[in-house]
Amino acid sequence: MKSIYKNLSGKAMVCLCCLFFASGIFSSCKKFIQVAAPYTSINASNVYSNDATAASVLSGVYAQMARELIPNAELSGISIQCAFSADDLSAILPSADANYYPYYTNSLTNANSFPWSSAYNFIFITNAAIEGLTASSSLTPAVKQQLIAEAKFFRAFCYFYAVNLFGDVPMPLSTDYKANALLPRTPKAQVYQQILKDLTEAQAALSPSYLKSDAFTPYTTSPERVRPTKWAAAALLARAYLFTGDYANAEAEATTVIGNPMFSLPALNSVFKMNSTETIWALQPVRTGTASNTGEGSFFILPATGPSGTVQPAFLSDTLLNSFEANDQRKTNWIASVTPILPGNVTYYYPFKYKIGAVPAPTQEYSMVLRLAEQYLIRAEARAQQGNISGSQADLNAVRARAGLPSTTAGDKGSLLAAIVHERQVELFTEWGDRWFTLKRTGTIDAVMTQAAPVKGGTWSSYKALYPIPVNELLTDPNLVQNTGY
Amino acid sequence: MVVHLRPALGYLKKNMSGRLLIHSPKLSKGMIFTAFVDRPAWQGNRSLTNTLLAMKLTILLLTTAALQVTASGRAQTVTFSGKDVPLEKVFSIVEQQTGYVVFFDYGTLEAARPVTLQVRDLPLTNFLDEALRGQPFGYSIRKTTIFITKLPVAAPVTAPPLEINTAAVIDIHGRVTDSLGNPMAGASVTVKGVARGVETDANGVFELKGVTEGATLMVSYTGYQSRQYKTRPGQPLVIVLSRSTSPLDEIVVIAYGTTTQRTSTGNVSTVKSEDIEKQPVDNPLLALEGRVPGLYISQATGVPGSAVTVRIEGQNSIAQGNDPLYVIDGVPYSSKLIPDLGQSGILGLSGGAWGNPLSFINPAAIDNIEVLKDADATAIYGSRAANGAILITTKKGKAGQTKVNIDIQNGWGKATRFLPLMNTKQYLAMRREAFRNANQSPGPTDYDLNGAWDTTRSTDWQKVLLGGTAQYADGQASVSGGAGNTTFFVGLGYHRETTVFPGDLSDQNGSVHFNIGHFTSNRKFHVQFSGDYLADHNNLIANDLTNTAVRLAPDAPALHNPDGSLNWAQYNGVSTWINPLAYLNSAYDAKTNNLNSSLEATYQVLPGLELKTSLGYSNLQKNTIVIGPLTAIAPERRPSSNRSSSFGYTTITSWNAEPWLTYKHRINKGQLETLIGTTFLETNSNFLYLSGIGYNSDLVLKDIRSAASVTAQSSVASLYHYNAVFGRINYNWLNKYIFSFNARRDGSSRFGPSNELHNFESGAMAWVFSNEDFLSRQPGFLSFGKLRASYGTTGNDQIGDYGFLSLYSTPLNVLTGYQGSPVLYPQGLPNPYLQWEETKKLQFGLDLGFFKDRVLVNANYYRNRSSNQLLSYKLPNITGFGSIRENFPATIQNSGWEISLTSKNFESRGFSWSTNFNITIQQNKLLSFPNLAQSSYAYSYEVGKPITAARFFHGLGVDPTTGFYIVADAKGNATSNPSFGPDYTALVNTAPKYYGGLENTVGYRGFELDFLFQFVRQKAAYSYTLGNQPGRFASSALGGLLGNQPVWVLSRWQKPGDIAPIQMFTTTFNNANTIGTTSDMTVSDASFIRLKNVALSWQLPAKWLRAAHLEGIRLFVHGQNLLTFTKFKGMDPESQSVLSTPPLRIVTFGIHVGL
Repeated sequence: MKSIYKNLSGKAMVCLCCLFFASGIFSSCKKFIQVAAPYTSINASNVYSNDATAASVLSGVYAQMARELIPNAELSGISIQCAFSADDLSAILPSADANYYPYYTNSLTNANSFPWSSAYNFIFITNAAIEGLTASSSLTPAVKQQLIAEAKFFRAFCYFYAVNLFGDVPMPLSTDYKANALLPRTPKAQVYQQILKDLTEAQAALSPSYLKSDAFTPYTTSPERVRPTKWAAAALLARAYLFTGDYANAEAEATTVIGNPMFSLPALNSVFKMNSTETIWALQPVRTGTASNTGEGSFFILPATGPSGTVQPAFLSDTLLNSFEANDQRKTNWIASVTPILPGNVTYYYPFKYKIGAVPAPTQEYSMVLRLAEQYLIRAEARAQQGNISGSQADLNAVRARAGLPSTTAGDKGSLLAAIVHERQVELFTEWGDRWFTLKRTGTIDAVMTQAAPVKGGTWSSYKALYPIPVNELLTDPNLVQNTGY
Repeated sequence: MVVHLRPALGYLKKNMSGRLLIHSPKLSKGMIFTAFVDRPAWQGNRSLTNTLLAMKLTILLLTTAALQVTASGRAQTVTFSGKDVPLEKVFSIVEQQTGYVVFFDYGTLEAARPVTLQVRDLPLTNFLDEALRGQPFGYSIRKTTIFITKLPVAAPVTAPPLEINTAAVIDIHGRVTDSLGNPMAGASVTVKGVARGVETDANGVFELKGVTEGATLMVSYTGYQSRQYKTRPGQPLVIVLSRSTSPLDEIVVIAYGTTTQRTSTGNVSTVKSEDIEKQPVDNPLLALEGRVPGLYISQATGVPGSAVTVRIEGQNSIAQGNDPLYVIDGVPYSSKLIPDLGQSGILGLSGGAWGNPLSFINPAAIDNIEVLKDADATAIYGSRAANGAILITTKKGKAGQTKVNIDIQNGWGKATRFLPLMNTKQYLAMRREAFRNANQSPGPTDYDLNGAWDTTRSTDWQKVLLGGTAQYADGQASVSGGAGNTTFFVGLGYHRETTVFPGDLSDQNGSVHFNIGHFTSNRKFHVQFSGDYLADHNNLIANDLTNTAVRLAPDAPALHNPDGSLNWAQYNGVSTWINPLAYLNSAYDAKTNNLNSSLEATYQVLPGLELKTSLGYSNLQKNTIVIGPLTAIAPERRPSSNRSSSFGYTTITSWNAEPWLTYKHRINKGQLETLIGTTFLETNSNFLYLSGIGYNSDLVLKDIRSAASVTAQSSVASLYHYNAVFGRINYNWLNKYIFSFNARRDGSSRFGPSNELHNFESGAMAWVFSNEDFLSRQPGFLSFGKLRASYGTTGNDQIGDYGFLSLYSTPLNVLTGYQGSPVLYPQGLPNPYLQWEETKKLQFGLDLGFFKDRVLVNANYYRNRSSNQLLSYKLPNITGFGSIRENFPATIQNSGWEISLTSKNFESRGFSWSTNFNITIQQNKLLSFPNLAQSSYAYSYEVGKPITAARFFHGLGVDPTTGFYIVADAKGNATSNPSFGPDYTALVNTAPKYYGGLENTVGYRGFELDFLFQFVRQKAAYSYTLGNQPGRFASSALGGLLGNQPVWVLSRWQKPGDIAPIQMFTTTFNNANTIGTTSDMTVSDASFIRLKNVALSWQLPAKWLRAAHLEGIRLFVHGQNLLTFTKFKGMDPESQSVLSTPPLRIVTFGIHVGL
């Protein structure tokens, strides 16, 4: 050994050792510092590599929609917010309330960010899912096809509400945050094109039967109607065609749903029971205890003390109560009331479509998103618009008959369309902003709201038909322009 | 000062006979030059020639040396322990123990200095060497007589003046050892005036060829006094270096090596075990308070195991970790624990987690702590050292006689300060006035007034709940020593502390520390293996009782019923309070096991070239249980309540491997030291939080299997990998000009795949101007002077693991899954570009020594700029999420002055007095923050202002007409309805403006008194300045807790026109109170001067101990946080909280026994 040292000068040894070290380090360094994702959560790059985790991303979206007991921050909160904005609801609200008061009094400002942020959060996830699923090569093809279609369906669903609430909206279709942060608003027509495209593709690819959580296995008996199917896509497509004035297609799509024996109109008190035959797509509650049933039930079903505070401030407006025809069974079955002793024996009527509020009861109701009655009303309107009076009457009467009402007296296109608007009001109240959208779509919003807004303690201007874009968006995306009036 | 003898004495003893010792004391500095003319270890069998040569040399030396010594034929030894013992007395002890006679002239002893020594079984000659070290005496031994002679005052001779022939060229070879004969590897041997030099090898041997005869050799070694030696032909030299007595030459541990204050280019401060041992603390960090310039430490609460916040040179990061890097024996140690069960909040927060990991290190196992501050000292730690580094070196064995040390202390702790609260009379008057003001009368839940509670009672709940005495007990025992090539250290410790709360609560731990060191016989391979294991059981309660103690109404009922049971004070069948003692039933129970081990192996490949490897493994396991028994709940609610308990399981495991090479080489007149190495580090952190509910008995709450239902509340699993190459080049030119360059290339798994690697580097230089000829030739009062400058970059990687990944996990509130299956949801936007925060550090330093280094001054100016801040960056929601974690070019500047002064004021005739003083003046400033107004930090920070500043409304006092607080809005107009955020116009910096400490040590004979004052100048926003909604009441049974108030709220508004600092008492909730407590009216001066530590000890006289064969006994009294001088209105100016116990004043009595 000694001789070796002597033959090597110190410098040479240093260089040698350095080389030895350096070679080892640079080859192993990169690899060493790349660690796998923790097992407590799943990484974007591996979540789509496996059928089960890929399916749970889409399940996560539905669960996210269903999880809030009072869903004011989520997209599903528009059942409440739009009902406040229109003439469905009255409320006892302090002006300091930020969640409902501005919607109720039609006094939104750019400080109100719901449901904008929720919608775009969902859109990001569907975009991420479409990108991840498309790139994945390790999924069962049927699962991959179903999940991509579910994501497209849900993206269209979000854009449908975004475009109807805000008008022209930015339309990110990828997850690139740098590009998305600079998007301008896309014209409404173009957004609708994308919605129709997504829905058409989704409809072609989605399963015709309700699938289990693996997005692959159909239920053999008593299906859970909580994942989108081909029929959900058709139903939403019918609505999108109707909103864009493509009546022939609206009729055709509604027909595919109505004609499917899976769906029928059950008795009124069965409509909102879980997996009723009326259900095209519903959301399953995901909590336990007092939150085992729907957020709508928790919010609307008033306690014996009546509406109060900021938690349960809502009850039905006189406008809505007075618009029911005599003997309309919906008024007795879908509306309930409380008469608290204080203050002064006032009776408050509240939506009673969902029968279970915030009580610890086993899950018996799911949050309805798409249901058959609306398809009848869509087809009735589409047929009326195309001059098919009898066909339109038949569809309208199908809905009226269940409510214990006689056949419609409307006999021409104009009166039929008015009758359908009325029917939507009493059939679909406090459901997914239907009244608000119908008023806007039919151009009657100014007339109706000029009457309704002062009753609620607000004022009306036409610009209020569109919600404002939240201020954060305008500050952080220089290419966004606010809706006029705000 | 006790001089500990060098190790390996016992080992020397057996080689005594036949050895010739020649002593030539260097008169001016009191050094002893010893030449061992013995068989050199590196030579073969002793030959006759060698003997003859040795004799020749002996004769030569005898003729010139001042005295001669012959070795005693018998191996006489002396045991001595004493402080400032007169020399005369020492001689009589020698006579007693050896039977020798000492001859001396009393007249010559006038110049004698007293002797302070602690030795056992030391050979007589060695003992005399030590006893006479630095004295103007020599000695000689003839048979059994020791002759003491006065040395002639001679010119400072550095070596025997040898006969100088004509300038012949000769080869020199020799050996360098310490005063105990241990070889000194790596000592530098240079020829004066010529650019030549070598390093000694593992055996201390060197060889220099072709040196001019008569040239002067300079022999130097870190921490030892340099020696000069005239070359001469012939014999191998034996050069003995003795330890330097200047504090500038004490060894300072730095990253991957050691240095001294004399040659250091960086800013490093050291705290030694003597100072740590004086302080009764459970966390070594607390022993640093007030002692280190640039380091600010605050304790969160007075319960054992408390969180501790540590900041080196200010706060660098806006949103990420600001903790320093901890390194124990070369192995990184966690700077924070994993956020635990929410209930363990009693320990307080540090670094976003409860408690502090350094609580699980036994302070008694620590030899010294180094605080590394500037770029030169820290850049070699790269991405981990932006917040500075704290290096902890544990105790090691030393060769020589086996030492046994036992320390036992017992003591008591009390809360330092209480709030002055109202008594019942004042309290009830306040309540009644509040009802009048609100035009209300007491309602059914106003128990304090409506008859439920006895209004004649008056209790100071602070005395009842916080007034207890905490017990403090600590025992440490260690055995250390070594022989030949092996040293060892084994230490055991036990520590127990209780709380000031009622009840049997305690934190106790047992620990073991060990170290084995071994050299191979050729001294080329050296290995050090160290381990620390500590098992801690912290048995506390889930809630700190301080909040209750402060807020409970003074007329609240008695704790116990007459029959001894807990009093729930039921009124109409409903409990009117939650009895504070019921909280004792909600136990917090944490069991922690902490293992740290390290192995350092060094192999000398060639002289000057060493291969070192440091391997470390650590494992921290903490199991926490918090129980919620029915006994903690009001009796009438028990039937409808559930028992519950929470279980937290934390495991942090980490290993590291660091091979590195050092090479020392002379280039020209300078010494070049190079270092290159690599680091591999892995840390695995796991946490599981389970909760159980629905037990059928309080007795089984700690058994999770007995729960009716078990939920996994949260789990953490993270893996951190880190890899780096690093290097350092240090060039020291004649101890005058010193240059240092550090570089590191870091890779970390915490950063995005696009940014995994990064470089950090620093450069520094020091100029020891006192070594310049113009100063060194005329040594005046300035004995040392050095200027330093350093600049470099470091990083902060305390950003959590996986920040760059897009993680999918189960969303909150999704409890049943969807369709019965678990669901996933993305947690945020991934950022593959995620990177460390970067701090550029600039420092200038000046080190001065006066009067032979008796007075040392050290001044530093620092300016650290931290940029690339990792912030939550606002994005439009159309990107999916409202923000992304992104590196952002906001820049924060920390600048300031650190000054420390050490002075040996007096040292003579048994009396000594020394002073240490340090002060840090610091400033923090946000230099730039692009687009601040649009960011989510718009209302938090302002460019040009400190980030440590909190923003408030500017309070305008109480409106004389309404009686409520008013504040200024953004335009300066008075308003009672300001906008939270935009109207925050007042900026109050709550970081210390300056802080420091003043320590004095006075010794007289066997007594030593040491006291340290800590001072801090700061402001605090203390909400209790305005009381907590004075006039309102809420019982703990109602879920809230409002009631008693500090007495100063009595200066309230009473009627229109009153100008008062406190608004009117009212029983109704009013927004004005919220506005008032969010205003700068709550800001008060929280400066304080604290008598942080007092240590008084008495060393028993040696003669008492001899009979008992003891090396030393010391009795001591230690006190911590003894006195606090402050204008602060709240409880404690350090913790500044009304929710947690103030730090405790602890006094302990103890004994140290050395065997």
